[in-house]
Amino acid sequence: MLNKIILYLNVLGLTWFVPPLKMVCGQDVAYEAKRFVRMIGLPLIAVVIFLFLWHVIAGQVKIKGQTLPGPVEVTAAAGKMYRDYQASQENYVTYQADFAKAQTEYPQMSETELRELMPYTAAPTYLDQIWTSLKTVFTGFVIASLIAIPLGILCGMSAAAFEMINPFIQVFRPVSPLAWLPIVAIIVGATMADVPANSFWAKSYVVAAVVVTLCSLWATLINTANGVAQVDKDYLNVAKVLNLGWFGTVFKVVLPSALPQIFNGMRLSIGVGWMVLIAAEMLSQNPGLGKFVWDMYQSSSDDTLAYIMVAVLTIGIIGFVLDRIMIALQRMVSPGAMLNVR
Amino acid sequence: MSTASLRLRHLIAGLALMCGATSASAAASETAAAPVVFKEYVLASPKPNLAKIKANKIEKPVLKFGIIKLTDCVPIVVARELGFFAEEGLSVSIEVQANWKLIVENTVAGSLDGAHMLAGQPIGATIGYLGQADMITPLSMDLNGNAATVSTKLWAQMQEREPRLKEPGHAHPISAASLLPIAKERAAGGNPLRFAMVFPVSCHNYELRYWLAAGGVNPGFYEGYNDPVGKRDADVLLSVTPPPQMVQTLTQNTIDGYCVGEPWNQQAVKDGVGVPVFTDYYIWKNNPEKVFGMTKLFADSNPNTVVAITKALIRAGHWLDENRDNRVKAVEMLANKAYIGANPDVLGASMLGTFEFQKGDKRDLPDFNVFYRYNATYPLPGHAVWYLTQMRRWGQIPGNKSDSWYHETATKIYRPDIYRAAYAKLQEEKLIPEATLPADDLPAFAGEDFIDKIAFDSKKPNDYLKLFPIGLK
Amino acid sequence: MSFLSLFTAAPLAPPQPAPAASTSAAPENRMKFLEIINVSKHFNHPTKGKIEVLSNISLSIKKGEFITVIGHSGCGKSTLLNMVAGLDLPSSGSVCFKEKEIMKPAPERAVVFQNHSLLPWRTVIGNVMLAVNAVFKDKTKKERVERAEHWLTVVGLKDHLHKFPHEISGGQRQRTGLARALAMGPELMLFDEPFGALDELTRSQLQDESLRLHFEEHLSVFMVTHSVDEAIYMSDKVVMMNNGPNASIGKILEIDCRNTKFGKGVSLRIRLIDPSRIRAIGKDA
Repeated sequence: MLNKIILYLNVLGLTWFVPPLKMVCGQDVAYEAKRFVRMIGLPLIAVVIFLFLWHVIAGQVKIKGQTLPGPVEVTAAAGKMYRDYQASQENYVTYQADFAKAQTEYPQMSETELRELMPYTAAPTYLDQIWTSLKTVFTGFVIASLIAIPLGILCGMSAAAFEMINPFIQVFRPVSPLAWLPIVAIIVGATMADVPANSFWAKSYVVAAVVVTLCSLWATLINTANGVAQVDKDYLNVAKVLNLGWFGTVFKVVLPSALPQIFNGMRLSIGVGWMVLIAAEMLSQNPGLGKFVWDMYQSSSDDTLAYIMVAVLTIGIIGFVLDRIMIALQRMVSPGAMLNVR
Repeated sequence: MSTASLRLRHLIAGLALMCGATSASAAASETAAAPVVFKEYVLASPKPNLAKIKANKIEKPVLKFGIIKLTDCVPIVVARELGFFAEEGLSVSIEVQANWKLIVENTVAGSLDGAHMLAGQPIGATIGYLGQADMITPLSMDLNGNAATVSTKLWAQMQEREPRLKEPGHAHPISAASLLPIAKERAAGGNPLRFAMVFPVSCHNYELRYWLAAGGVNPGFYEGYNDPVGKRDADVLLSVTPPPQMVQTLTQNTIDGYCVGEPWNQQAVKDGVGVPVFTDYYIWKNNPEKVFGMTKLFADSNPNTVVAITKALIRAGHWLDENRDNRVKAVEMLANKAYIGANPDVLGASMLGTFEFQKGDKRDLPDFNVFYRYNATYPLPGHAVWYLTQMRRWGQIPGNKSDSWYHETATKIYRPDIYRAAYAKLQEEKLIPEATLPADDLPAFAGEDFIDKIAFDSKKPNDYLKLFPIGLK
Repeated sequence: MSFLSLFTAAPLAPPQPAPAASTSAAPENRMKFLEIINVSKHFNHPTKGKIEVLSNISLSIKKGEFITVIGHSGCGKSTLLNMVAGLDLPSSGSVCFKEKEIMKPAPERAVVFQNHSLLPWRTVIGNVMLAVNAVFKDKTKKERVERAEHWLTVVGLKDHLHKFPHEISGGQRQRTGLARALAMGPELMLFDEPFGALDELTRSQLQDESLRLHFEEHLSVFMVTHSVDEAIYMSDKVVMMNNGPNASIGKILEIDCRNTKFGKGVSLRIRLIDPSRIRAIGKDA
């Protein structure tokens, strides 16, 4: 039982919890304690050194009569952002109370009708913006996967198809999202029907998601093609002997064999997509983290830079978590990976 | 009257004036001396009056408006935060837009119902300059409110040419004549002076050009409806930059000066990178600046809603000009990160009636921003005619047009009829005190109001155009 | 366990023309089972041009026979097996199974690979079920599962049905491969150096098992190996191939020997086709 938990912790990348767990269960206490100290201690020392250096260097750089924000200022800014968030939460509570009162005043109107007449109109909070960013990147990523995986399978299985598609991959892969954005914005602006204000499918959302798709589909495509092309010949021979046919071979042998590579590609894709998203949001004004950074940049107030640094840390941490999730998923579909986990 | 009594009268008058002046300056220095403490503002959650929706037959109670990070978006902000919109039954959310182009695009596309717009934008869009869309405005949001800043380097060069500029407390307005030799030199060297303004149809563009032309500098001509650059025969190059990025581009020496609204001129002074050379008050006293624009389609489909919006915005304008405390509260609202987010001290400078031309050279300019006085909210077609004349002067309108064309176009876009309907309702509900609305929609403006002293009669736009030494006719 | 020492002394029987049918086979099955007729195979090397790997190979196998082809590494024996399996086609000549030319692989000629070739994402029984489901589409699910379980029990993996390949040992994996091939209900089993990757102990275990299955289930087996001991221990006929390129069949050794553990008694009858070949083998051993 314990071993199963440890196995899952390892697969999910939560290796830091393993030594304490083992120590609590009384296994190899001394050894695990030493291991834990090394696991946590070394990165912790590095973080402390980094914070110290940041603090010192930030104090030396002068901009516009202030110094660069150090860890202290950034923490203060994070605190302020949290207080802003609490204030808007209170606003929301007030709104709910008002809404409830309105419901009693107008019993004949259904809740949706009332909600239409009296929506919550405050500006999005920081958490709302994070959520919008995540939604946008997932939309872009899912569309990219839906395009790239079938195309990748085709390229992997047919050398002819690969020869035809490869030039496009090589030419379009290096294109930066900032170059795609004007084209996408113009096309979406022209072809998408005018949407009313406050709709879910806002044009900026579609533009940002499409740019994410265009930049992140290449990693999945290339890795899927590789994974499919590198299926062990022996497995293909087994399929041939069993007369599995085209469908049987693809779905029972080729795809499962290529799955770890496909997930590897998806992991790279989501990493690229998250980076691209912030840039795309800045330019398309999709109300997510990118727009937050852009608005702060344009505010020119004294604590703007600290706010932007908080946003940078948030973006980094979310990117890290997304990557970890994809690694865990990849491990789960790789046979034998469960045993070989570090 | 005997000369003695006359001299006595003059003495008393002079003494009275001096006392008045000193007391005024004392009052001014008192208000200037006592630093204002700005508090942090928490956004309000206004509760819309749902009964009004039915009572006033509001067609679209849930609205989204766009603003740009400039202090003169404040009537919209105030109308939301103080609940003026809510009292009409409207639920309004405000979304900051990145630049003026997006404001027009999103309004035309329908993702915004209305927006804080440059006075020239509905005009330019309707006549078909850089894209055609029928737009109207039922309300002007403010008068004045701009300034132009040059980089400290350019200011030093100007001071060399015109030594009087070195004196502290030198008189304003400053003519662009001191710029002319510098501009010629730079243009000859292949590196012409570069100025930024916010949009090809913004008053900043026309004010900058007006100022340059008044000093003899040619700012360049446009080649008709599809030319966004306008640099034919130019001595200096004008280009577009979004307002919040002006200070950065000035610091990076990409541009030598810009003309923009606040707080971006005061921000440059605070950062020590620029020196304002004029405010538009000196170019044309009480010139039209920003309007609340919407598509004609929206206005025609939602007439009652538009009247309700106009009512709320008139009230907001009136509140802003009521007293100083209201201005302080407005600055606090704007300092919230959801709106402009700049430092309240910087925002407050111009909003509270002072303008800092250089560090330490603070002048009283109580009419820097006018939101209600002098009929600031009335959408005067005469103002629209002025814009049209400037568009023709610089070639954005390619051919010569008849006077009646100017009048028809102006009254199509600027809609005093909607304003009057809203005003009448406000009087009925006794929400604002009575005011005298303009009698003549196409008045004449005196020459003293302009920097080059050329008078403007909106009934005769073609005659007006003939009076300019630089400009198409 | 080497019979070779017997051969180095003197030939036991006079030379006979090749190929000779084995007289130990039951006479009832006169239909030609597997015929390899004048098969040649060449490959195009990118730099060396056309390389002929096999030249004019002719061989015939009767039903119920256990025949092994031996030769040095690289002499082309795996290529020959691939052609019998249908995974490869001869450049000239033909391979006929039950008087029909082999054009493609089929479950009736099941292959046991040298690398077990188990799909690592499927369990032991999953791998066998893959084969059973492919071949016995008309049987019910229950029957198919029973079939798979039966063969896995026969190879001794009853307790490891739901383990993954990475959780079992090399020998167990090879047994799974064996069970998978058996579960297909093949007419001919093709063994491609099946025990080459295993250690000595497991190897002899599996050799015994395979022999047992051959006797109990009356399997026809075509094996390829480079171990002479294994060939002689397990087969009725040992076909010796020359070294490649242009490999051809050297001599065929017929062995009529039943191991006491499984067979019906002991008799040793060995017929050689070319005595000169034996000395060569004896030298190499």
